[in-house]
This record gives sequence, structure tokens and C-alpha cells, in this order.
Amino acid sequence: MKEAAAHEQFIRSFFYEYECPIVSDENGRLVVQLTDKMDEALMNRPFYWHYIKKMGRQGDPMSLTLITNPELTEEKGEYIHSGSPRLRQLYRYLLENCRYTKLYEAVQRFNQQSPLVPWLIVNIRVSYYGKQKKDEILSIGLNLIHGTMVSPIMEKLEKYQLETTISDYTFPMTPLIRIPSGYQRILSFIHDHIESTDRTWANKALETLEEEEQLLHAFFQKDDDEEREFMEKELEGLKGRFTPRVTVDVLNGGLFYLTQETTNELIK
Amino acid sequence: MDILLDENYGEELLQQTVNPDAISSWNQFKLAYQAAKASSVPAFEGLVALNHLPHIDFLPHQKEAAEEIIHQMQGRAILADEVGLGKTIEAGLVLKEYLIRGMVNKVLILTPASLVNQWVIELHEKFFIQAYAPKKNPAWKEADIMVTSIDMAKKEPHQSEILSIPYDLIIIDEAHKLKNPATKNYQFVKALQKKYCLLLTATPIQNRITDIFNLVSILKPGYLGDLTSFKKEYGKKTGNIDSNLNLKKLISKVMIRNRRQDTGLADTKRMVTTEWIEFSEEEQKVYQMLESIKGTHPSFTYLTLAKELCSSREACYLSSKQMYDKLGDPEATGPLHDLISGVEQLPQHAKAKRMVELIQQTDEKFIVFTEYRASQYYLQWYLQQHGISSVPFRGGFKRGKKDWMKQLFRDHAQVMIATEAAGEGINLQFCRNMINYDLPWNPMRLEQRIGRIHRFGQDKNVQIYNFAIKDTIEEHILNLLYDKIKLFENAIGELDHILEELDIRDLGKEIESIYSESSSYGEAKIKLNNLASVISSHSEPYRRSSS
Repeated sequence: MKEAAAHEQFIRSFFYEYECPIVSDENGRLVVQLTDKMDEALMNRPFYWHYIKKMGRQGDPMSLTLITNPELTEEKGEYIHSGSPRLRQLYRYLLENCRYTKLYEAVQRFNQQSPLVPWLIVNIRVSYYGKQKKDEILSIGLNLIHGTMVSPIMEKLEKYQLETTISDYTFPMTPLIRIPSGYQRILSFIHDHIESTDRTWANKALETLEEEEQLLHAFFQKDDDEEREFMEKELEGLKGRFTPRVTVDVLNGGLFYLTQETTNELIK
Repeated sequence: MDILLDENYGEELLQQTVNPDAISSWNQFKLAYQAAKASSVPAFEGLVALNHLPHIDFLPHQKEAAEEIIHQMQGRAILADEVGLGKTIEAGLVLKEYLIRGMVNKVLILTPASLVNQWVIELHEKFFIQAYAPKKNPAWKEADIMVTSIDMAKKEPHQSEILSIPYDLIIIDEAHKLKNPATKNYQFVKALQKKYCLLLTATPIQNRITDIFNLVSILKPGYLGDLTSFKKEYGKKTGNIDSNLNLKKLISKVMIRNRRQDTGLADTKRMVTTEWIEFSEEEQKVYQMLESIKGTHPSFTYLTLAKELCSSREACYLSSKQMYDKLGDPEATGPLHDLISGVEQLPQHAKAKRMVELIQQTDEKFIVFTEYRASQYYLQWYLQQHGISSVPFRGGFKRGKKDWMKQLFRDHAQVMIATEAAGEGINLQFCRNMINYDLPWNPMRLEQRIGRIHRFGQDKNVQIYNFAIKDTIEEHILNLLYDKIKLFENAIGELDHILEELDIRDLGKEIESIYSESSSYGEAKIKLNNLASVISSHSEPYRRSSS
């Protein structure tokens, strides 16, 4: 199953990234030995860790058995699928802990000094609230030297090797556009993007709002104080449910230093 | 249109790029992006929750119900599937969908006290939703999803605190109890702040057509007009089909009602057997003695005692003793006195014997329903005498005890003996045999009973035995309910509509009044027959129009 394979890949990368060794891995069944840090983050036993620290003792982190193969779900372990609590927890952990970065493209050069171009990369969730809600994920890169914008950018960067330390014989160029003003440019781009998208959903929500408001007005006798108060409350509620709105939230972002070649590649 | 932007991130990022602790690696950064994509919902349409719950085999009607509630009804609906079709599952699916989409955070679930635990467990085990059942000092504001009873919620100081919270979703189970707008419960529910709201009931119109008006007024005030005009339009008892069809259409936009026959559940059948039992000679004699009470006591005394005698000596003895003690006067209590001493000398009850015979034929589990606590004790003792293990169950048990009894029944005991109040909420799909040791006079309650075992999750045919004693009041009742109205074959929902068209508020009470107003068996029988034929003649056009 494609989905199961994707989850398995995700879990492997996650625990590799957070330095938790995978003790056994066969046929869609993974056993992961947690580190102290990840046990504290994932296993929800604050009292244990509080006690261990207070006593100055060595903690005994737990291991996780994760099953991605749907045929093994009867076995002992946590079955991992799109909605499984553990997977959700890992998602949450990542989104809370990976909000910022500063990365340099890795290059192997031996003599010639080469400059790295600063980019502001921001990943954003736009949520549209009408009668229902939907999300849109945007990934936008802004060249901080000459202001070129690229979207979506994450998918294009996927294949590049980026490090938190700068490679030898490279040097970062100082941004001409400051990060906050670069960010403002991205926001106004998003604003325009939202304004230009199809508005049917918003109009439908407004129509419903109007219909429902009319119903309420017809139902209540406005000369009764108590009734009027109740109606006001209901009207308020209707507005909350049906007034179309859009929220824009940053998922994560960072300052990326990329080679001139890569920069050209991205802009092309 | 409002667009809410996160204005501060630029400054934040600027500061954090010089903080080595805040910097994540390229792989972590990519994983977080991947996580965000996986947890966002890219379309207004559809049910994302289905992908999140691969271990549940939702039935088609359950998926459709959830989708319709969210997408057509904007999250405010009456969920009125027949008993056992999975209203809780549907409500759980709706809740899950809203949670995944991030449209709902704060949730209040109101159920009868006996169902609180079951909701918490089901939400957790089936839907991975962590809900809390408050005990003492509940933190209404802190916990996101609370399950509690209306009785608890409407007590102070809880009530004022709950009313101050803007809930995103309110789910009310067994919502038919909210049909009377004059009650405190109704006022309380109406005053709750809510965005979305689900009302769950198997009997949306229990007695009167205005029941539905009152339920809809919680969801969508004004949708059915105001009460006066509604009554004018629909409240007449004539079977004005056209105007009723119109109402049906209106209501279908706020109410989902799946019937067993429209769903896959029809696959497991209900097999109904009537067990005609004859009183022993001694019992027959005592039953005859009751006749003499008719002259000296109010008719409901006779009715009560006759019903009880058909159930067990114990039940009858207890009430007649009570009456005797209350009246005290030996002159007036002559017949009662005779009755009591007659009852005292009775052998084991004919029905109890038949029950043991049935149960002994197999190793399968049985649930036995009786109306009387005294009969419950008696039957448990009697089963024990025959080496059959049984557990009692009744509404008054504390939550923990109920769960415990259910578990004992599932894992150890062969029989569960339940009284009426146990009719709601416990699920016993692992049992497929039911004995209606005595029949309730209100058919809605019978449906609730059967729903305990004939429900979503039952994979065998269900066997129902109805016990009735010949030549007694039970024979009349069974004839009426079973033969004439064809109660067991027809969906209860149908009867719902019929009774309501006929303006019969409570069939049980109706029957009771026929008995008390009739001077002889013959007269009562004729009247009952009349009632039955009126009901069945009304069911004909209804069946035609719905097919």
C-alpha cells in the first residue's frame, strides 16, 4: 500500500533525525528505542522524568513498536495510519519545534571563493472558512538580493543538500532586503493571491447567512426583551458560523543561502 | 471578507536566525512541511475522517449521514436513525471530521448519566478522541471535550459556567427527552452557546407533532415558523397527507432518519416467537380472585395487580401487601386479604418455568426483560436453583457497576436479567436471544429493548421470545401489539407517524384507559380491537406513500 509505505518512510526519517535507533525493522513493523529527550517529548510521563532528574539518576527511556503493515494490525504495537494518534503527535511535535531555520547549500569547492545568495523561504497555511473550511499550503521563496519570488519552492529545493553550517570557500552575501520587509512582500503576494481566487464559497456562505438571519427575524417577537436577547445571541452565532474569512498562518520558514547556480535554476 | 494575517513572523524569524537552539536541520524542516501537508484538508467537500479511521467499517448510510450533516445541514441536525443503526457512530464521525478540519475545538456532549462512560470509551477506542467525564469539580473551561449528563450540567455552579462557554459543537443523546419547552432541561439546552449541534433520538416524534417543532427550534429557530402558525398548519389530527408531506419535506432538511429496511442491517433478521403459557390451576384461581377486587377498588388497582400476577408472585404480593397495609380496614380489604393469602401459596410461576426450559436448550446467552424489580430478584434466584448463572441489570446502577455487569455477562454469565430502565444505552450485540418476560405497554420501549441486541455489530439473526399468559390481560395486549399492529415486523418509525396522525399521545396510557373505562373483558376487547384496526388502517396509506 502506497500510504503505508509513505508513513513508514516518514517514521524512519523522523526517528533517524531525532537520533532514536531503530532496533528492528521488518515487514512493516518497526521497533524504535527512544532517547531520553524523545521519551520526554512523546511518552507523556512528566512525573517519571521529574523524579529521575531530581534523584540525579539515569532514566530508562521506553521503546515504541510501530506497525504500518495493515495485515499486522492484530499484533502488539501501535498501528500507524493517517489518523493514528502517534502520527498526529509526531506531526504536532515537528510543527512546534521546526518553525525556524538558517541553512547553507553544501558545496565542494577547493580554491575559488564563491558567494551564496540569501533567500527567505516561508511555508504558509491559508485556511478558508465559509460554510465549510479548507486549507491551502503555500511555499514561497523570496530572493533577498533582487526580490524575485518563486512559488512553490519547497518541492524544487527538495533535492538540494543544505547544512546548518557553511561550507568551506563559500561566503554568505548580506541581504539587501531585510527579513521583515521580505516577509511583508510575501504577505502582500498572498493577499493578492487570496483576493484573486474564486469567491463562490464566500458568496454561498453570505447567502446562507442572510437566509438564516431572515428566519430568525421571522421567528422572534421583538417586543419581548428576553426573546430579543436570545435572538441577538443567535444572530451573533450565525455571523460566527457563516461570515466568510481567511486566516494565514506560517508553518515554518527560514533564511536560506543558496549558490548562484541554484538561484538561477530556481528562477528559471 | 476578513483576511487574518500573521504579521509578526518576519521579526520573529529575524531574531531566531541568530539563536542556534531554534534552528532546525534541513531534514527536520522538510519533515515539518510534510507534516503540515498531511494534516491539512485541501477541499471543502468530502469526509477526510474516513482515511483517519481505517479500522472502522462504516456502513454506507452512516457515511452519507455524516456527509449530509456537515455539508448540507451545516452541522445542525436531528439524527433520528432507528435504534441500532449507529447514531453514536455517525455523531462520532461528524465530530472527528470537524476536529480534523480544525472547525471545532470545544465540545459538550450531553447524555443520560448511564451512557456517559460508554461515550467516553467509544470516542476513545473507535475515534481516538480524548473526552472527559467530569466527576467532582469539573474543569469545564479547560477540558476540550466533555461528556456529562444534563442533570449534572444544569446544577449550579456548573450551569452558569457552562452557559458562559462558547461551544463549537454540542451533541445531545436521547434528545426526545427535550420535547417539552417548558422544562428546565429544554431551557438550559436552548441557552447553550453553540456553533454546531446534533440531536440524537430514535423517536423524534414521540407523542405529538409539536415534539418535532420543539426539537427543530433548538437547532434552527424559525425554520418551522412560530408555534402558533405551526399548530394551525400541522397540528390537526386529520390525516391531511398533502400538508404532512410538505412538513416531511421541510423536516428532511434538518433531520436524518435511516430505517433498518433501507440499510444493510436488514441482513440479520428478527425472529419473533410468541410463547403462549398457561397458568397452573392454582394460579388461575388466584387470577380469578382479582375479579372480585374490581368491585371494591379503583380500576387501576386491578390493572396493576393483574399485570403483576402475570409476572411473578413476588411482584403481586409486594403491591397487594402495600395496599393492604395502607388501607388497614379489614372490612374493605376482604378481597385483598384473600388475594394475598392466595398468592402466598402459589407454586413457581408458569412463565419462569418456561424461561428455564428455553434457556436450558442451548448454551447461548439470553437477555431477559421484566418490568418489575421483584420479578427480577425472583428470576435470578430461580435460575440459580437450576444452576444457570445470571447477572442483574437496572437503570439505577452506578456507571461502574453497569460496565461491570455487562462485562460479567459477556465473559461469564449466561443470562442477564434487566428491568425497564436498562432499556437505553447498553449494547449487547454479543447476545442474540431476548426474552420479553413481560411486555411493556408502550411499544417505543419495546423497540428500545430489542435495539440492545439487534443493532450495528450484530452478525447473527436475532431471536425474540414474547411471553404471554393465556386468558389474561397479557393476551389482549399481545394480540393488539403483535398481531393487529404487526409491531415487530414494521419499523417503529412507521408506528410513530401513525400514532401521531391519530393524535394518540401514549399508546400505553391509551390501553390503560380503555381497560379502566370498560366494565367487562368483552367491552375492553372490542375497544382494543377497534383501536388496533384504526391503527392498521392508517398504516396502509402510509406504507404506500413511503414505498
